[in-house]
Amino acid sequence: MSEMFIFYLLIVGSMVVLGGSAMYGIYWAVRDGQYVNMKKGAEVIFGKDEPVGKVTDLFPGMKPEDIKQPGAAKKR
Amino acid sequence: MDTTAVLVPDSDSDARERAAIDRSCRVPVLLFFSVAIFWLLMGTLFGMIASIKMHVPDFLTTFFGVPAGELSFGRLRPIHLNIVAYGWAAVVGIGVAIWLMARLCRAPLRNAWLVCAAGVLWNVGMIAGIFSILLGYGNSIEYLEFPPFVTFILFLAYALVSVWAVDMFVHRKKGHVYVSQWYLLAALFWFPWLYGTANILLNIQPVAGSVQGIITWWYGHNVLGLWFTPIGLASAYYFIPKVIGRPVYSYYLSAFGFWALALFYSWNGGHHLIGGPLPAWLITASSVASFMMFIPVLVTAINHHMTMKGNFHMLKYSPTLRFVVFGAMCYTLVSFQGSSMAIRSWNYLTHFTHYTIGHAHLGLYGFFTMIMFGAVYYIVPRLTNSEWKSARMIKIHFWFCAYGIIAMFVALSIGGLVEGEMLLNPKGAHNTFPDIVEATKPYLIARSISGLLLTVGHVVFAWHFVLMLVGMGRRTAGATLLTEASEEREGVAI
Repeated sequence: MSEMFIFYLLIVGSMVVLGGSAMYGIYWAVRDGQYVNMKKGAEVIFGKDEPVGKVTDLFPGMKPEDIKQPGAAKKR
Repeated sequence: MDTTAVLVPDSDSDARERAAIDRSCRVPVLLFFSVAIFWLLMGTLFGMIASIKMHVPDFLTTFFGVPAGELSFGRLRPIHLNIVAYGWAAVVGIGVAIWLMARLCRAPLRNAWLVCAAGVLWNVGMIAGIFSILLGYGNSIEYLEFPPFVTFILFLAYALVSVWAVDMFVHRKKGHVYVSQWYLLAALFWFPWLYGTANILLNIQPVAGSVQGIITWWYGHNVLGLWFTPIGLASAYYFIPKVIGRPVYSYYLSAFGFWALALFYSWNGGHHLIGGPLPAWLITASSVASFMMFIPVLVTAINHHMTMKGNFHMLKYSPTLRFVVFGAMCYTLVSFQGSSMAIRSWNYLTHFTHYTIGHAHLGLYGFFTMIMFGAVYYIVPRLTNSEWKSARMIKIHFWFCAYGIIAMFVALSIGGLVEGEMLLNPKGAHNTFPDIVEATKPYLIARSISGLLLTVGHVVFAWHFVLMLVGMGRRTAGATLLTEASEEREGVAI
């Protein structure tokens, strides 16, 4: 009896907790307007000093000027 | 005293905010990274021993002349699995998740003691678990070999991290919730429940008979799908755009991919049980869900590819990008392969062969571990305020690991198909069981050699990390990299 109770509790609980939290998550996101402006959303990881267009990781000892665009040599 | 102004010469508010966040993460994140890298080396060692035992069965069977059950394959192999899954992958994943959460919440780390306590507790659990398996107290349930008292410790540690994550999220700076954060929350919020449920139903109050199989693989697949995958993808969605300085190609697709993954992934476990004594509808439903995974995977693959398009030359210049893009490509590959393995007729050939092992390594290593390496290369300089010591060491690490995992995957896949084909026709004149074992031997030797390549990569990486930790990295003036280029230059041949 008690074993089966635990079993059902966990199975049903899994559905409620996992499914329910996902549903609440998407409900909240839509209500909150998270998906209203996609372009702005994609740009939240950039800021004033690390704007779009700034490379933020290079091998040690390299400078951003070292980056050669492919084909740049050919043009010259 | 506030040292931020000194750290950031052009004291811009964003840079100052970031520096403060990085500083708040320093202790917990470096703690998690350090122990993760220790476990990575241990996991590599046990993996190597187990791998060599596959083709040299007499290797290491005695301990100073005394036959030792502790050194048998049956114990070393689960130790390898548990160390790399829970010691390395989960711990480095939590470390990256802590840093990403703080950055994306745009708030300094709150309750650092909570995550530090979780880290300590976690490692106590790990050590207890490894010794339990070594001494013969392990379970035979894959991914849950640790005995119940250990899983309880690990569960507590997980729960602490979860509580921390929710608290962090509640106190975030107002604004948009970036897609990476959704993935992280999903991982940190769902996983303790999965872990607890599976342990109660399998270890503490075991359910009857074949239902155990369902629970095992419901858990076994979700540990990959709802724990490692979201952390890996969260990192990819952050680091690829951030490194190259270009927003995600289609943010709409990234959000869509997340919800599709959340919807389909948790159904996938049943495809591990094709041919098992279970209701056919259950396995079929699982196979269908496995195929539905094409949607989030394709969406992610297209999105990352289009973000990278025109920037592939950057792979030459950024270590983080190189590792993360390699990982993202492996994600696409391993997911499509996984879906294909849910087809009954194909599974008939590949099940219970080395093919599956190749698939598992491509997933947890090629995808997850490589992305984590990339993340570590990005995060550590920002925590220690110094640059990595040597570009050459990073390149050695990358190429050894990349070639190692590709070689391992190819060897095990081909070996697995040969093995599967022979196992399906066991009655031929040259298809006795010893023949089959003999036939897989070259592939197993190849696997050990590929393991050696990985070992070299890991040792170089660990050494490099230690140099950073003891303050032997190159000093830079800025709190973030690249604001001040460092003085000396190294050979930059790719």
